[in-house]
Formats: sequence, structure tokens, C-alpha cells
Amino acid sequence: MTPLDTLRFSLRALRDNKMRSSLTMLGVVIGVAAVVTAVSVGQGASAGVTNSIGQLGNNLLTIIPGSPRVGPGQPGQGAMPQTLKPADADAILARCVRSVFAVCPQVRSSVVVKTGAKTWRTSLTGAAPSFMLVNNYTLARGRVLNTADNDARARVVCVGKTVVKNLFGNVDVNCLDQEISINRARFHIVGILGPKGANTFGQDQDDIVLMPLATAMNRVLNQRYITLMSVQCRSADKIDLAQEQIVSLLRRRHRLSPPFPENDDFMVLNQAQLLSIVKTIGNILTLLLAGIAAISLTVGGVGIMNIMLVSVTERTREIGIRKALGATETNIRAQFLIESALLSLLGGMVGVGVGSAVSYAAGRLSGWPIAPSATSALIAVAVSASIGIFFGFWPAAKAARLHPIDALRRE
Amino acid sequence: MASDLIALSDISKIYTVGDQEVRALDGVSFQVREGEFVAIMGPSGSGKSTLMHILGCLDAPTRGTYTLNGEEVSQLPDRELAGVRNRLIGFIFQSYNLLPSFTAVENVELPMIYGNTRDRRRRAQAALERVGLKDRMDHKPTQLSGGQQQRVAIARAIATEPRVLMADEPTGNVATRQGEEIMAIFQELNDQGKTVILVTHEPHIARHATRLVQVQDGKVRADQAIVQRVLARDWLKLPENVVSGALLNL
Repeated sequence: MTPLDTLRFSLRALRDNKMRSSLTMLGVVIGVAAVVTAVSVGQGASAGVTNSIGQLGNNLLTIIPGSPRVGPGQPGQGAMPQTLKPADADAILARCVRSVFAVCPQVRSSVVVKTGAKTWRTSLTGAAPSFMLVNNYTLARGRVLNTADNDARARVVCVGKTVVKNLFGNVDVNCLDQEISINRARFHIVGILGPKGANTFGQDQDDIVLMPLATAMNRVLNQRYITLMSVQCRSADKIDLAQEQIVSLLRRRHRLSPPFPENDDFMVLNQAQLLSIVKTIGNILTLLLAGIAAISLTVGGVGIMNIMLVSVTERTREIGIRKALGATETNIRAQFLIESALLSLLGGMVGVGVGSAVSYAAGRLSGWPIAPSATSALIAVAVSASIGIFFGFWPAAKAARLHPIDALRRE
Repeated sequence: MASDLIALSDISKIYTVGDQEVRALDGVSFQVREGEFVAIMGPSGSGKSTLMHILGCLDAPTRGTYTLNGEEVSQLPDRELAGVRNRLIGFIFQSYNLLPSFTAVENVELPMIYGNTRDRRRRAQAALERVGLKDRMDHKPTQLSGGQQQRVAIARAIATEPRVLMADEPTGNVATRQGEEIMAIFQELNDQGKTVILVTHEPHIARHATRLVQVQDGKVRADQAIVQRVLARDWLKLPENVVSGALLNL
């Protein structure tokens, strides 16, 4: 008996029981579709998040006060470390010309904003004029804040659309030249920021009141130190150089002594590091999804075993006839093993199709760059075929061991 | 005797049911020579079916030796026993045992697939023609009468050109006239030199053979030549009512 003959017998048996074969396959179809979808959605989501981090601004370094020994200033740890000054930002811009393109010192605080009867708790950002450039903000109406505003400590602000909506009832209200009060001081709205949406961490970036750095430090918060600095590097390959130059400059300016980085009173956060963290999280997520999908694939395999066992019982007479006519145990085992492997393999291929379709649909709906990967499809099909052989082994062995006379006696 | 096709020597088959031993066969010995037509008869429970299964290599004896075509087969492993069933024996069952989803010609091809026989479609067609089913080749078993199904089974048995045909109550499930037709095929095959062994409980069917072995309680009780042999060819020439009447008077 040639392998081709065995394959023909197996195909024929599957065709003679179309309904049962397709229902058995369904378990594997769902399992494989789940694996393919999980992996591509996981990878797509991770790529999507990576993209949106990129949108935070290009080639960005963030400098925050605090020592790596104690960690950055955090709620509950008392006051923010007061080690970064606006002058540090000026120095970086002046001294690191080759690597740094723009520096934006900022103060941030949570404040209550009032207008007429309405109040709204929002995030106040006092920043240098480079803020909108560095952080990819656009202007919808009015004008941007400029250096003159900063020098004059002018009482002017730009507001995001979430603030407009909550203070004036509607996003489309023209609130230019309106007044709002922050900590009982009055400010003029001179600009409305373009919509930016939520950031990677789900924070609404339109829930913002932006004012000149000097105004915020002197008129609202009354502090001499800044919360953070955003540094935009000239290009991606200048990021490491910029980080190096900034670290040594700040150590000199702050008269710090070794050992470093234990004695540093600031930290430089690199976007690349953030990306690698997000990627790690994405990988964990993908693994988790794939794990759940693998369980459903196993369940599909158990389904095949179940049906094959039923099939062996039901086809006992057929097995008896084949044995009486000269089929060896090996012939019978091969036939049943190939049957279950075929079921599983076909199920796997249909599953890849379904999974790819679901992935495309998910990509369309979420806007993430989800695409089914050929690798995961190949692996899923290979795994499903192996599952068919693994779970088909016992039923096939059971069929092969049947004694011809016992098998023929059974009706 | 070296020229024997089949030699059974002191064959016993003992089943254990619960803590009781049942001796289905108890020291059976006989020989069959090439070209013989042997009928094995016995009441139900006599052990004749067990004997047939052992002869057909479908079952192994508990004790004793079975030599088929010069080869000791009673203790062969599965793989070789399957080969013996495939090459040397053509087995015909009372209930035909055709695969229901296969056509007649596909059923006849089945043993040749396991035997790796070349040219099997043509040989299957030739075998079906020989049993008179030339125009039924592509019918499924459910589209055939009992007699026709049994003839497909005979075609399946002869297509591999085995050394011996073994039939277990081949006429048990078919109408009288169709049974006679089946016996006519066996007699024709035997006339051409094929060895045939037949199990039956009908004296009339047994009388188509040339030799009668009677089995009772697992032992051979009688072994004699048949004197007044029935020739199926002649019976089939008689009108239908005469055939039935004659059988009733037996």
C-alpha cells in the first residue's frame, strides 16, 4: 500500500462524513483564527502605541529634577526637588548647539479655572514659546504666545478645546479675548489650540491651559524652579550626543561631585527608553493573548480526538473488513492518523483565513497598523497539523489494535 | 503430507468466559489438498465458525499447528498474518462485508490496494465480469440485491488470485435461487482448479462440495466424500417452483 493510497482512503472517509468533518474542523478553525488574530492584533497595537509615542515629538529628551537615588518627585514624597532653573535651559541651548535644536523649560500644576459661574480643574502649563513646536501642538485660532509675553509676564493664555468646552459649554464657542481667572488672578485668552486627542497613556492633551513660563512662575505658582525641560535634538543620531553633553553641562552648573549617577540632582529620560518599555509591555500582551488562543487551539485538538474516538467505534466494522482483506495495523493506524492530521491541517488553513480577515477588520476599526503576519500563519498551520497527529494518535492506535473477528462481529 | 495445501494438527481454541473455560475447538486435525471442494457442517455452537476463522487466519488457535501453503501460520505476527490473508486467502462472509460508501469495483479493488497489486482496476473489472456483474460495476452495495452483493464479495475474493477460497455461510442471507447461483460460481471456480472451503448448516448447500467434514462439540465427527453431488448448473435449469419444492423435501 502506497502513502498515496492511504491519503486517498483518509480523504474519502472525510468526504463521506462531510458534516462531522466540518464540525470537527470548526474547533481548530476557531483556535487557529484566535492565535492569528491575537498575534497580529498584539503586534499591531504595540506598533500603534509606538507610533503615538513618536507623535509626542521627534527626537525628544525630557529632563526632570530629582536624583536617580531617590527617584523623581512623586506625590506623597513631599515637595518637588527644586534643582532645575530656567537658566539651565538657556545654558543647554547656548552650549549644546551641535546636538540640540530647541529647549522648552516648563512648569506644570493642577489648577482650578473659573469663568462666570463655571469652574474646571485642568492642567496648567507654563512654558517657553518653543512649547508648541517641541510638543507638536497646533493653533486653531488667535495667536501663539511669544517671547514678548514672557518678558512682560503678560497675563495671556492659550487654551485647549476640552477647557473651552467645559468653561463655555461648547467647543465651537469663540472665546478669544474672554477672561478666565486662575487662583483669583485674571487672564486673557489669546489663542485656542488645535485638537490633539489623548496621548499614549490616555491623558487628554486638549485639557490644558498654556501660559508664558515667567507668568506662571511669578504670577500663579510663585516658584523659582521648573517642573521639567523638553529638549528637541537636531536628529535621531544626535540624541545620545545631546544626552551626554547635557548631563556633563548640568553636573558642572550644579557643582555636583562623583559618584555619578548617584549624586545627580536631575534625570534625562530618553524617548528610546520609553519606546523599549512600551515594546516590552506590548510583547507581554501579545504573549498573553497568544497563550489564551493556544488554549482554545488545544481544546480544538481535544475535539478532534473525541470525534476520532467516536469514529473508530462507529467504523469498527469497516476496520474489521479492511483487516480481513489484508490491512496491517500500520495501514489502519496511518489511515486514521492522516485523517485527524488532515482535519486539523485543513482547519488550520481555514483558521488562518478567518484570522486574517478578523485582523484586517480590527485594523480598520482601531486605526492601528494591524496586519496578519505570514510567520504566525505558518506557525499556526504547522502547530495545528501537529495537534492533529498528537491527538489522533490514541484513536488511531485504538483502531489499529482491533481484532478482525471482534471488529466484524460488531454491527 | 507435503503436498497438502492446508494441514491442521491438533488445533484447539479455548475462550475464557468469566472463570469458565469454553473449548470452541478441541484437537481438530485434517488436511485439504489443492483443488478440493470441502464443506464443513455442524449445528450452531459446534465450533465450525471458529474453525473457519482460524482457517482464514482471522483468529489464532490457542494450541496446535496450522500449515498453509507450506508455511506455519498459527503463531505469525500481525504484519505477516495480514499478508497471508491478503495473498493466499479469499474470504467470503455471510453478511458480504462490503464497504457501503464504495462502489462494486472499488470494493473489489480494496484487497489489491493493500497487496500493492498492479493493474487493479482492470483486474477488478475482470473479476466482476466473471461473477456476472459487468453492468453493475459502479453501483453501491445498497443499490444491489443480496445475491449481487455476495457476488461482488466473491469477485473481491478471487481478484487477488488466492490459493484458497473460504466462504462462511455464503448463502445464508440470500434467496434460494440466488444462493444456487452463488454455488454455481463456486463449482465453476472449483472446476477450474481453485480450492474451496465452505461452512454451512444447510445439507443441500453442503452437497455442492466434493468432501464433507462434520464438526460437533469442537471435534471432527465425520470426514467423507460426497456421493450424490448437487450440480448447481442443473438445478438452475429447473423451473422456480420445482427448485423450492425439492429443497423443502430434503
